[in-house]
Amino acid sequence: MKGLGYRKFKNYFFSSLCTVMTLCGLFFLAFILTDIIIHGINGVNIELFLKDPAPAGVEGGGLRNAFIGHLFITFFAVIMGVPAGILGGTFLAEYGRNSKFAKFISIFADIMVSVPAIIVGTFVYAIAVKPFGHFSGFAGSLALAIIMFPIVLRTTENMLSLIPWSLREAAFALGAPYYKVIFQVVYRGAKAGILTGVLLSLARVIGEAAPLLFTSFNNNFFSTDMKKPIASLTVTIFQYATGPYDTWHTQAWAAAFVITMTILAITITARYIIRGIEK
Amino acid sequence: MKETIEIEVKNLSFYYNGDIRALKSINLTVYKNLVTALIGPSGCGKTTLLRCFNRMHDLYPKNRYEGEIILNGKNILSQEVDLIELRSKIGMVFQKPTPFPMTIFDNIAYGLRLRGIKNKTELKDRVEQALKSAALFDEVKDKLNVSATELSGGQQQRLVIARALAVEPEILLFDEPTSALDPISTGKIEELLTELKKKVTIIIVTHNMQQAARISDWTGFMMLGELIEYDRTEKIFTAPTKKLTEEYVTGRFG
Repeated sequence: MKGLGYRKFKNYFFSSLCTVMTLCGLFFLAFILTDIIIHGINGVNIELFLKDPAPAGVEGGGLRNAFIGHLFITFFAVIMGVPAGILGGTFLAEYGRNSKFAKFISIFADIMVSVPAIIVGTFVYAIAVKPFGHFSGFAGSLALAIIMFPIVLRTTENMLSLIPWSLREAAFALGAPYYKVIFQVVYRGAKAGILTGVLLSLARVIGEAAPLLFTSFNNNFFSTDMKKPIASLTVTIFQYATGPYDTWHTQAWAAAFVITMTILAITITARYIIRGIEK
Repeated sequence: MKETIEIEVKNLSFYYNGDIRALKSINLTVYKNLVTALIGPSGCGKTTLLRCFNRMHDLYPKNRYEGEIILNGKNILSQEVDLIELRSKIGMVFQKPTPFPMTIFDNIAYGLRLRGIKNKTELKDRVEQALKSAALFDEVKDKLNVSATELSGGQQQRLVIARALAVEPEILLFDEPTSALDPISTGKIEELLTELKKKVTIIIVTHNMQQAARISDWTGFMMLGELIEYDRTEKIFTAPTKKLTEEYVTGRFG
């Protein structure tokens, strides 16, 4: 039998290894965050939100077009993706419960969650850009909605499954039809969980550039016409970061800062709600 | 005392999943405004029988009934029966308290609203009435807008009873309503049941034989899906005719 010292050494070795690896991961995370904060915070000023871009190479101007465009794209993505996801998840957890079909969809949605965003982008390009002959804000929203859909679907399904059957039976025993049981009792019990899923899916798509490159493309001018190409923060970051001007770089950093902080805020809110549920 | 018949169960058999026979030709008469208790070892079918009365089994596919349950001259197992109407006549209280995730008021009003009652004063009156009948009003009258999940287990169970009472059912089914409660809450619920039978007919499934002896007028002893013996409670507990019943009530098995 090997001595106690050897076993202690093994234990010490592996726990140190785990700690070092965790620190490595955290280091890069902290590195990225601080880098974005240091570079980005200087570029954030009121003009960034209120002014449209100045002509290329000219000092000043802001990214109002990109902020508004991004809000529009995300808003319509939520309108398309969230109700579909919630209702789909409801089907899986309620009406289709235990059916092979529902299980298949469930597994399929899990696969869909990990489909690379750029593939979704090219797919939407094929179905919603090419046929119309031009890029459009709606195509961008559609691409984001497709990414959100499986996330919302699966969280909704899981959250509804957590509601005990006895609660549904109690509502049935009072004579409630199934749709009322779902809308009035089950959703109420699961609303915090469903909201968390929605927020997490939002955090996931808000920072996506790839699906928008092929769909909403970009627009240097202020526009709210979702049928035409529209600016977005992420595509603007991509364009400005690779561009030749210093003012572009500063604004790209500032946009990156704003978007990162937004995602951070959404994620923290979601975590906070989750903690509330688990309590 | 003259006893009126409320429900007649005739030759009832029940099958889970198409062919698993859980109830075997049950015959039983439930009397109006009395408490009927169903006792027996785990898996004997007492809950299955109870859930036939409000057709709870219909929620799951492939369940099948045979025989008849006659209520007010009609077979409630027939396909034409409107389940929503049936379940407003026959309420049910479950083993674990099942408050809905909404306020106390909305919980009680739930069944009333389902039946289309929207008038605010009527809702308020009937909620209050139901809470009083369930002996809960004094404890919650100042916090009707508080979430029902914040009540204690015993209060939650009385809330659920109030919710069932609010729609003024003829019959209330209880599925081991006190098995998740402490003795004091149990005592309150038992007291309540004795009070409630003035208004409704009660069928209760219980694991606890003392409880059946304390609160019921008639007792059915079940085993392996069969109703072994059904008689007045004092007869079942003092002079049962079947040997199995005697062995069970004296604690020799189960």
